[in-house]
Amino acid sequence: MDIVQILLNGIVLGSLYACIAIGFSLVWGVLNVINMLHGSFIILGGYLTFFAWQYFGINPILALPFIATTLFCLGYVLQYFFINKVVTAPVLTTLTLTFGLDMILYNLMTVFFTATPRRVTLDLGTLNIGDLYLPVDRLLGMGLALCLTALLFLVMRVSKIGRAIVAVRMDRQAATLMGIRVNHVYAITFGIGAFMAGAAGAVFSMVFPVTTNLTGVFLGKAFVICVIGGLGSVPGALIGGIALGLIESIAGYTIGPQNAITVGFVLMLVLLVIRPSGIAGVKGYE
Amino acid sequence: MVMGLNLRTPLQIATLACGFAVAVGMSPSVAADDVLVIGAPLALTGGLADEGKKQQDVWKLWLDKIEAAGGITVAGKKMQVKFVEYDYQTDGKRAGQLAEKLVTDDNVDVLMAPFGSGHTKIVAAVAERYQVPMLACVASSVSVYDQGFKYLFGTLAPNTGMTESMVEFFKAKKPDLKTVAVYGKDGVFPKAMATALAASAEAGGIEVVYNELYAADTMDHSSAVSAIKAADPDWVYMTGYTQDLILGRKQLAELGVTSPIITMVTGPAYREFTEGLGSLADGVTSATWWHHATAYTDAVGPWSTTASFYEDFKTAFGSDPDYVHGSCAAAADVLVNAVQTAGSKDKAAVRDALAATDILTFYGPIDFGDNGMNQGREMPIIQVQGEAVKVLYPAAIADADLAMIK
Repeated sequence: MDIVQILLNGIVLGSLYACIAIGFSLVWGVLNVINMLHGSFIILGGYLTFFAWQYFGINPILALPFIATTLFCLGYVLQYFFINKVVTAPVLTTLTLTFGLDMILYNLMTVFFTATPRRVTLDLGTLNIGDLYLPVDRLLGMGLALCLTALLFLVMRVSKIGRAIVAVRMDRQAATLMGIRVNHVYAITFGIGAFMAGAAGAVFSMVFPVTTNLTGVFLGKAFVICVIGGLGSVPGALIGGIALGLIESIAGYTIGPQNAITVGFVLMLVLLVIRPSGIAGVKGYE
Repeated sequence: MVMGLNLRTPLQIATLACGFAVAVGMSPSVAADDVLVIGAPLALTGGLADEGKKQQDVWKLWLDKIEAAGGITVAGKKMQVKFVEYDYQTDGKRAGQLAEKLVTDDNVDVLMAPFGSGHTKIVAAVAERYQVPMLACVASSVSVYDQGFKYLFGTLAPNTGMTESMVEFFKAKKPDLKTVAVYGKDGVFPKAMATALAASAEAGGIEVVYNELYAADTMDHSSAVSAIKAADPDWVYMTGYTQDLILGRKQLAELGVTSPIITMVTGPAYREFTEGLGSLADGVTSATWWHHATAYTDAVGPWSTTASFYEDFKTAFGSDPDYVHGSCAAAADVLVNAVQTAGSKDKAAVRDALAATDILTFYGPIDFGDNGMNQGREMPIIQVQGEAVKVLYPAAIADADLAMIK
């Protein structure tokens, strides 16, 4: 039974990892921008959810759409007015810009919210089936990851804005000639990435302590998951997240938690060598 | 082997190199003879910002008391005291650089170490190189003090004393205590505590059924908690920083671990721990270096009793002081006492006076051993009971009995 519990732990954890990575993957894959703000966006979403719950008694699930929309607006503005200025420059330029913006956001949060870990202590309990334990808040995170992936997949496939995003990614100049407002599409894409981060932050406020200490950890995870799952593919983030969650869970149980993270990085390195596009990535995006 | 990817760190360094660093406080040139200048690299931003702020706050409170008294008296003359502080942004390398700046540019007379054993170790190397006396008020790992440094002194007691008394106390309260699971963070202080507890438990006749470390960037404990559950220990002992412990306690509950004793070092010593856990904090035990329930009197320094320090702190900040506040204020008392004993700011003389220190502060006795650590401490064991933190040990200040977690 232990191994079943370990596998379940891994799948649920992997789904949370996928929540972290979906927006990051989209922005990286479509805009070719490594968004260093992503970890701070998640934590900002967590803080906003926490304060909505603490001061106004708003349930995190109810707050989620508003928090995510707020983050969308923030992401849109940042991309439209700042990142768009350098979006066609080499990737190091955009990385440096988003890093600078991240330093500002990170330190503003530390100054105004402090680094004190906070958590929505709305413990939802555990689903107990025989000897198996499944925390409800993590299951909720898993459901969110699946919904976000499906939603984003649909948006990219069937909606007008989704097709515009794909077109801009394929050929910016051709898309411009076709009448697509490229800067607007870039901003929408970045906004969607921030929306996903905000939604993840809302759920995480019940699962993890919210503190600025975690922004770098979230960013690191998103990076690894994208490499494992593959860029340019919405399901890639989900697959990469679950793969990493399972590997860390199994490694943590069998060879010790101290080595679990290392095993995830080894997998990333192996994939970079034998399959640079990742498990479900699209060729040309690596 | 531990590896973590925290993308912030390398780029932070790059940014710092580009001049994003922000220094706070004063930057005096050469200090006058009648001014004692204390240098303090503090983590005012970044991951340890809360802890750095605690140090800054309590030293401000301490300095206000000193200034209200017109300064300190050294060799029959009044001497003013000033702090020079820089924010090292929770970046260990930066802490070392700023300590060097404090010594060479700001000409400080003494240094106060930053929060934690890891960063203290870095700054201590700088202090030793320039032979500047340094007080560490939040570093308890013996590995910080066993480097043969002559200018480093610490007000916290060694970790080992904390674990031995805890094993002894729990065995006395629960005679059928047979097994313990030890799960510690792979950092200087948490690892030292986990290692010390495992050794103390085995020496005390308690079988260690699980003994693992977790990496610094771990954001999930489910596999470890599942292994702990399979081992079914009577006692779970976890070390780490507050965010790790909040997550760890939550996952212990979620995954059905039912051990009657759960210890989290130093979780309940911080208000953030109990606030972040709510009812899940109930029953969690810990050990701490100081609790305001202690009642020392006739102490040296601006606070002659523990109660007077508590009252001043409560008035100033509206909350209870924890061991960081207590230890750091006491470190300042010790420093002043050493300067007064030396009769001057001469660094070598102050160092010798520190080595010979044997005084009572509001925080408790300070008596540095050969390695510079405070030997004169009996450390309280505490437990969250309801919404309050109760003292279980030592008996002289205990206000509750150990309650098992149901």
